Amino acid sequence: MRITCPYCGARNLEEFTYRGDATVKRPESIEETARDAWIDYVYLRDNPAGLHKELWHHSAGCHAWLQVTRDTTTHEIVDVERVAKER
Amino acid sequence: MSKLKSMSALESVAVPGRHGKSDGPAGVTLQERADLGLATLEVRKGQAAALDAAVQAAYGVALPNGPVSAVGKGVRFVGVGPGQWFAVSETHANEALANDLATKLEGLASVADHSSGRAVVRVEGPSVRDVLAKGLAIDLDPGVFGDGAAAVTNISHMGVLVWRDGEAFDLAVFRSVAGSFYGWLEEAAAAYGLDVVTTS
Repeated sequence: MRITCPYCGARNLEEFTYRGDATVKRPESIEETARDAWIDYVYLRDNPAGLHKELWHHSAGCHAWLQVTRDTTTHEIVDVERVAKER
Repeated sequence: MSKLKSMSALESVAVPGRHGKSDGPAGVTLQERADLGLATLEVRKGQAAALDAAVQAAYGVALPNGPVSAVGKGVRFVGVGPGQWFAVSETHANEALANDLATKLEGLASVADHSSGRAVVRVEGPSVRDVLAKGLAIDLDPGVFGDGAAAVTNISHMGVLVWRDGEAFDLAVFRSVAGSFYGWLEEAAAAYGLDVVTTS
């Protein structure tokens, strides 16, 4: 599998580190009432068949964090964008 | 405090002379680029335009916006990531480069001295691309990776920064893997003949 880094260009998988689901959002509240939201954030993940947004770190390249949209059934990558918008 | 003596990471590792295939011209020559000034610079928040202008004024070159390098007055700026560059200089040796950059780009970029942290070698010759292809997954064809092109990647699982200077390739590796890296290179070049030449 190759990922086309917006900065470096197409590079092989060895240069990247997978860091999980890009769709989860950290709950705003740290109160006990947000317990279920925290359990969901920390432990529960969807397992979609099809397009999925994932976080990848270009750890052996430009060190940018990337949001990769990948089809879990075909491994086709339809979009790669940098998470940091600035610079 | 006594000053530490600067010493190459490749000293007594890259032994001058011919290695591997001994007949015919060497396929690859290797020369260490010792005593370079090496530094990284990273743009401060919201200062991209000001940094561009300051580099242009001080070094007479535009900072590259991508994995390529640009040569200014005494300094080559290599794009290594969004808002990040690796600076290489012969004229500002060792920490003099970082000091010069930090002074001229104060408040616009964070500068760190890398002079003692990396070993830089220059490889060239008729077989250089064949040798590098054994460990480097980057297309080095001049149509794709032309003069000045750069890449942060791996060679044989070791982190490397490579840039093209004319027909030659410069490879910067972390000092701690310089011995292993040279071992890989000597092995990879053996079939073509490797000539290690001294800088002086």
